[in-house]
Amino acid sequence: MAVASLDEHELIKQLRAQNEAALGAFMAQYETRVFGLALRLTGNRQDAEEVLQDVFLTVFQKIDSFRGDSKLSSWLYRIATNAALMKLRKRPRIQQIPLEEELGPAMTEEGMIAEPVVDWSRLPDDELERKELTRRIEAAITQLPPDYRSVFVLRDVEGLSTEEACEILSLSEAALKSRLHRGRLFLRKQLADYAVSRTAAPSMMQKTGIIPPPTASPKATARQEPSVPLRGTAAGGGINPGPRHV
Amino acid sequence: MFKCRDVGQLLYEYVEQRLEPPVSQQLEQHLADCPGCLAFINTYKQTMRLSSELRCREIPPELQQKLRSFIKTKLSSPRPSLWERLRFRLTGG
Repeated sequence: MAVASLDEHELIKQLRAQNEAALGAFMAQYETRVFGLALRLTGNRQDAEEVLQDVFLTVFQKIDSFRGDSKLSSWLYRIATNAALMKLRKRPRIQQIPLEEELGPAMTEEGMIAEPVVDWSRLPDDELERKELTRRIEAAITQLPPDYRSVFVLRDVEGLSTEEACEILSLSEAALKSRLHRGRLFLRKQLADYAVSRTAAPSMMQKTGIIPPPTASPKATARQEPSVPLRGTAAGGGINPGPRHV
Repeated sequence: MFKCRDVGQLLYEYVEQRLEPPVSQQLEQHLADCPGCLAFINTYKQTMRLSSELRCREIPPELQQKLRSFIKTKLSSPRPSLWERLRFRLTGG
């Protein structure tokens, strides 16, 4: 039985009756999403497995109380998100991430970018490099506080719409935007710090054409992007040579 | 005239394609002249692209099996224990 071939009303009826085929089809349809969501939210395979099992059991046992105010899948994701966040909140290390202004490029008083920004967006054409960057994001996600992580994972990893993510998390669009944007900026910064430190390696230099500054050490993994001269960087425009964060 | 700061403030709406076309065009005009903003937007978008690659594409078969036998056992047991009911309440149905 394919879940997609049933309309939602009929599917709910079948699930309430605990029709074995419907239960199996429902799991087949959503288990990968639920597991992936739990894995990204908890950052832990063991926790994700437990969430997976608990979520489907909860859904099947509580389907009678599902009122149909939202899509069945939204209800499922909400249960999954809550279950995963519950695991996460049991752990002590929840940290803050920097403010939005600290994650973007430094600005001059005139509102212009104060320092060249390295464009490493073409690096990941290389398979290994791409894998490494993906691994870095994976690690960086685990540093996001739960409120930011849930928004980021639902939207950018799972690819749900803004509307659906707002519904699942009971968030206003403005709150979602602010968390998502800040989360993205934080992750971008982690990748930027890594990517820029890699530009010191000769092979990367050839690929990107980015020439590291004479002062940049190959081990430059500091929390800020070193100011790397960028090809075609326009002179003027309020460029401030001061050592500021990018 | 658009400044880098304006780009920073509209970045999210721009990437989400929620800007009015004239504003979007103005922003793009700034990008054409500003390598810094262009680099920032490119790397912001690349972060999003790489993130979408983290989506789980398949679930390990042994986990599928485990899930099914777990569900089968639980649903066929007569009634959830007090502990189970408490746990469901906590996981927020």
